[in-house]
Amino acid sequence: MATPQDTPFPPSPPAESRREFLAGRAATAVAGALAVASLGGCGPASPPAQEGSAARRWGMVIDLRRCVACKACVASCKSENKTPPGVAYNVFIEEEQGTFPYVRRVAFTRPCMQCAKSSCAQVCPTGATYHRADGIVAVDYEKCIGCRYCIAACPYGARSFDYGHDYIEKAGNPYNEIPSSEYGASYGLRHKGGSPEGNVRKCTFCLHLQDEKGEYREPPACVRTCMGKAIHFGDLKDPEGVCVAHGEKMQALLAHRGNYRLKEELGNEPAVYYLPV
Amino acid sequence: MRFMRFLWHSARLATRGGAAYRAWVLFLLALVAWGAVAYVDQLRDGLIRTSMRDEVSWGFYVGNFTFLVGVAAAAVMLVIPAYVYNWKPIKEVAILGELLAISAVTMCLLFVLVDMGRPDRFWHVVPFLGLLNFPRSLLAWDCLVLNGYLALNVVVVGHLLYCSFYRVHYRAAIVVPLVLFSIPLAISIHTVTAFLYNGLPARPFWNASILAPRFLCSAFCSGPAILIIVFQILQRTAGLRIQNEAIWKVAELMAYAMFLNLFLLGAEVFKEYYSATHHVVYLQYLFSGVRGHTSLVLYAWASVACSAVAFILFLIPATRRHFVTLNLGCLLIYAGVYIEKGMGLVIPGFTPSTLGEIYEYVPTLTEVRVGAAVFSVGFLVFTVLCKVAVPILMGEFTAETLVRPDGGGSSLAPEENLQRS
Repeated sequence: MATPQDTPFPPSPPAESRREFLAGRAATAVAGALAVASLGGCGPASPPAQEGSAARRWGMVIDLRRCVACKACVASCKSENKTPPGVAYNVFIEEEQGTFPYVRRVAFTRPCMQCAKSSCAQVCPTGATYHRADGIVAVDYEKCIGCRYCIAACPYGARSFDYGHDYIEKAGNPYNEIPSSEYGASYGLRHKGGSPEGNVRKCTFCLHLQDEKGEYREPPACVRTCMGKAIHFGDLKDPEGVCVAHGEKMQALLAHRGNYRLKEELGNEPAVYYLPV
Repeated sequence: MRFMRFLWHSARLATRGGAAYRAWVLFLLALVAWGAVAYVDQLRDGLIRTSMRDEVSWGFYVGNFTFLVGVAAAAVMLVIPAYVYNWKPIKEVAILGELLAISAVTMCLLFVLVDMGRPDRFWHVVPFLGLLNFPRSLLAWDCLVLNGYLALNVVVVGHLLYCSFYRVHYRAAIVVPLVLFSIPLAISIHTVTAFLYNGLPARPFWNASILAPRFLCSAFCSGPAILIIVFQILQRTAGLRIQNEAIWKVAELMAYAMFLNLFLLGAEVFKEYYSATHHVVYLQYLFSGVRGHTSLVLYAWASVACSAVAFILFLIPATRRHFVTLNLGCLLIYAGVYIEKGMGLVIPGFTPSTLGEIYEYVPTLTEVRVGAAVFSVGFLVFTVLCKVAVPILMGEFTAETLVRPDGGGSSLAPEENLQRS
């Protein structure tokens, strides 16, 4: 196992946003949500602006021939997003196939597929899960009621519910004093009774690493840390788009060896492609 | 105001009763308190208090919700013969089906509430108040139809009782269209709940076209099973006039519904096992276990056995009309459908998970306590509604009896024992 890479602490300051404003207000009290209702007329807070650049469609090409199954992608994801126990944005799937001596190991990393036709956003009763213009599927924690219908709907097991577990239950330990950098750390420190506890969480392609124009200042944590350079991340819309970490041309990677997406038959149109072993 | 007076006297009636009635209500209140304490723990610590995890993200709560939607929908088993076919023996007691529907929908909404990770935001899914993802999300549809069905039944029952209380004829121009509308609405609450599962291609166990028909068939067994037992209790204790023909007719309809339910189950089993695709693994998990994980197997076969035996008891006229076997059949149907449409539906849908993992879900004590509290609230609602409705229907509790000196308390003694259901 590789050690988690250093991530910028505190995370780069996000731009002042309506989301942050709302988050701050709702965090003041449990009645916060009701306050939003009374202030905002008859409905819950309006959805945050569709962030991200519509000119982009962020996606991944995962080259399984280059993957050494070190699982650094999982560790760096945990470190970057500071997910609690039971919440994993990125998981590593391994299976041994065949019988000795003819055995092989199937292993791959599974981030969120950021489907173009996502099941999760379709079923979400409040519209808390939404599609950004750049194809990333994000969750508005202020609107999520924690019904977990999206978890039932996701074919890739790419969603986790924050059940309220901590690695260290004791208050005052460092783990509990660093906010997750996701969504630009706008939800602040994770605490009892406040989002994202009781919400459904997911991989966002580390969208907090985007700049104001929607370009990546640095690659998502799993891409950055992949020592075999197996995970390529870039714009799938641009025919000349290159991986923001390693510089390969995304479309060339897809063209050379044939590629596949997981559970293609379900029609979700994932933005994550795999290159076979 | 006349309506306020009606409410006031009804409330007074509901709070008065004999020892048995008071003991029953106290017992329910104690259960509510026991569960409420567990719910406070869950609120404080989060859903980590439950056994639900990402592999099985719905469990006991949603299973009970699904079962109770069926119970609520079953009111139409009385409304159809009563209002469409105008069959008098059932028309006299049809209102009890509506009372059951009100209590069942109340429990459904409470089960949804306790299952939420952020119950402080429940208003996001309140129709017209929150911002529902309508029409895309089936859960948004479910919120609409369940609340609509509850409102409709409250209006109909409220109007009927109010009119009987003042001994005036109800407004047929309002009640009859509403009652008739409640038929498609009852079917729709169960259909929408079935579609909620059905519409997920990620879960092959639920992604079967006959899921909604199966839901309806099992609902038409389980709801009436409760009603038949309630009828008999009211018949003995409150002297409510219910003809045996009405009970037998309902039992006969249940036999047909149970036949269809078993037939559709068989159709599903055939399709899965004969085609034997990867998707058969969920049914295998339910009926024979997968890779040594067999926690549902006994539970699932118990359901099939209960349903099959009950079907035979209800099919043979002699056992259908004998009250011992009739009641045994009702209990078996209740148990069979509770398993089949509760956790027997929810858990195998999640096991194995989409990533192939097996997590064996068994509810925690917290979940059981909270569930018991929700059921107690539902029973309490039903008890109180019956306590008021039955004397009104029998003409013992009206505006006139209240002014007579011999009215009120004395004539109300018999039905005080009636809710030991």
